[in-house]
Amino acid sequence: MAGHEIPVEAENLEKRFRRYHAVRGVSFRCYAGEVFGLLGPNGAGKTTTIRMLTTILRPTAGTARVAGHDVVKDPAAVRRVIGVLPENAGIYGRLTARDVIRYAGRLYGVPSDLLRSRIASLADTLELTPHLDRVTDTFSKGMKQKVNIARALVHDPPVVFLDEPTSGLDVISARSVRDFIARFKQEGRCVIMSTHVMEEAERLCDRVAIITGGRVRAEGRLNDLVARTGLGLEEIFVQLVEQTVA
Amino acid sequence: MIGAAFSWLRSRGRTGNREAAQETRRWIYAVYAKETLEVIRDRRTLLIMVVLPAVVMPMVILGISYLAQRQQHQIQTVIPRVVVVGQAPALIHLAYKTRLISPVRAKDPAAALRQHQALAVVEIPKNFEAIVARNGQAHVGILFDATDSESTAARAKVVELLSRYSREVVAARLAARHINPRDLLPVVLDQRNVATQRQQSGQLLASLLPFLLAMWAVVGGMSVAVDLAAGEKERGTLESLLIAPPSREAIVLGKFLSVVTASMGGVVVVLIAMMVSLRWGYPYMLHTTQKINVSLPFGTAVVILGVALLFSALVSAIQLAISIYARSPREAQQYITPLYFVTVLPGLAVQFVSDWARSPWAYVTPVLNAFFAFQELLLGTVNWGHLLLATVSCAFYAALALEVAIGMMSRESVIFRV
Repeated sequence: MAGHEIPVEAENLEKRFRRYHAVRGVSFRCYAGEVFGLLGPNGAGKTTTIRMLTTILRPTAGTARVAGHDVVKDPAAVRRVIGVLPENAGIYGRLTARDVIRYAGRLYGVPSDLLRSRIASLADTLELTPHLDRVTDTFSKGMKQKVNIARALVHDPPVVFLDEPTSGLDVISARSVRDFIARFKQEGRCVIMSTHVMEEAERLCDRVAIITGGRVRAEGRLNDLVARTGLGLEEIFVQLVEQTVA
Repeated sequence: MIGAAFSWLRSRGRTGNREAAQETRRWIYAVYAKETLEVIRDRRTLLIMVVLPAVVMPMVILGISYLAQRQQHQIQTVIPRVVVVGQAPALIHLAYKTRLISPVRAKDPAAALRQHQALAVVEIPKNFEAIVARNGQAHVGILFDATDSESTAARAKVVELLSRYSREVVAARLAARHINPRDLLPVVLDQRNVATQRQQSGQLLASLLPFLLAMWAVVGGMSVAVDLAAGEKERGTLESLLIAPPSREAIVLGKFLSVVTASMGGVVVVLIAMMVSLRWGYPYMLHTTQKINVSLPFGTAVVILGVALLFSALVSAIQLAISIYARSPREAQQYITPLYFVTVLPGLAVQFVSDWARSPWAYVTPVLNAFFAFQELLLGTVNWGHLLLATVSCAFYAALALEVAIGMMSRESVIFRV
């Protein structure tokens, strides 16, 4: 992370799928030790933006750098420094929680000894220790999400992408996941999180970008946005969405 | 496509960075180990890979042969009831003496045949014995039901009875003319089979094994291929995998090796199960007039497994490419099922097109090449040139299919195909 004061930097990112223009020039920056929220309704372009930043989709235009690496020119280097929790991430049901996290660690080249201690530490933090050797098919959705978070963090990435991390979780599991995200900030990670839950954004995000129709309609610190408009985050969000539809 | 395959192979040959190569090997192993662990924990896959070929296939092969032979035996030993219409005391006497048929009378012979009360009807003409005694020629009719195997067998026994009766009459007529019956048989046949035990055993194996090996090469890896690409898409785990550092090549190779392992697992199990059941089960279950000692030399078995490995690599790569392309396991299964017929049916056809085996094209044609190689190996008529052509071409097609699979895994439109 050292030497990269702006861990994530997107400039005029665009993505077309044949005739459909999903993202139309998205630009933003995310700094170390902050949670950056991508807010928007379904189909706004949040997931496509995250997929371009995580190198799984190639931008049609624009550039993006993650930890100093260009997502198009050096995707392999980008993948090594990011941890990603995709939207509706599944899990290998026939493997135990330990197998799943260990598999991710091996893919990221974490040495065996370090991998063992990381698994133990993550399991402890996420309260997974008693369930580590259970097959994940028997887990609740919240437990599966915790295993996926552990999988995404096993290589201790400085940049973390979370796409709708609490989607479909019950209140207790969602709260537990939010508490864990709040810790990332303290650990100095750069976190980019997409959500359409305003309450979640207000509680977790330092800065947000509101995306509708593939464009960033508003960006800044939550307090600044609220002070500038005199509205609450949810009202700002609803107004922007309505303007786009109109 | 061929150019792409060559450049792919060349680029791998040039890779000078030892660390990068080691890392790629680690990734391939990590993916392979995880996929294989999932395969081992999947009861459905184990059922298809181990239980079916080990238990069901020998039961089917030996069971069908046993039932066929049992029926044949019953037909041969049972004395069929045959309605005799007309008078022929000498013929009836011969029937009782030889026990070929059991003569019965019926008011309506045709109805008795239809109702299965008798298995055939013999129609003796009027004055039959008088015609025979006058050195004349009598026309005897036989009614039987060609759709009934027992009736057909009864017909054969009636024919045999009438032939014996004719021979006895001919012998009597010749004796009356002081002619030795041998004088009418200037040529006596003495037939001997020069095929060795190994060749006869090879013939039996060549008629069964190529088909079974091909079938299990396809079936053994089918559910694994479907599960670890289309299944990953459906479960939502593929995206996390593709975001990780391993290259698309490493991911596909790891998965490919896992499919090949499952496929070869099925092939090895079916080979062992068939050899054991043919060697020890065949003689106990079936009463053959000439016992065949079914065996496969160790070296030949190793080469057969080598060819099977290449064939398995080809079908596994195709199945994997299809699975990567498919939106869901259900769609993948629908695409792969026709592949099963395309790869397995030549196994049945190959024994009827033995003239093709003389052409080098047969040994470079996908799928057929493996079947012809299996056949030569099992019959013990190996032509090393043919074997080289078959193995090299099989490996080449497998590499091409693998290249297609890697290409599929690298395409956004395929990965996010909805």
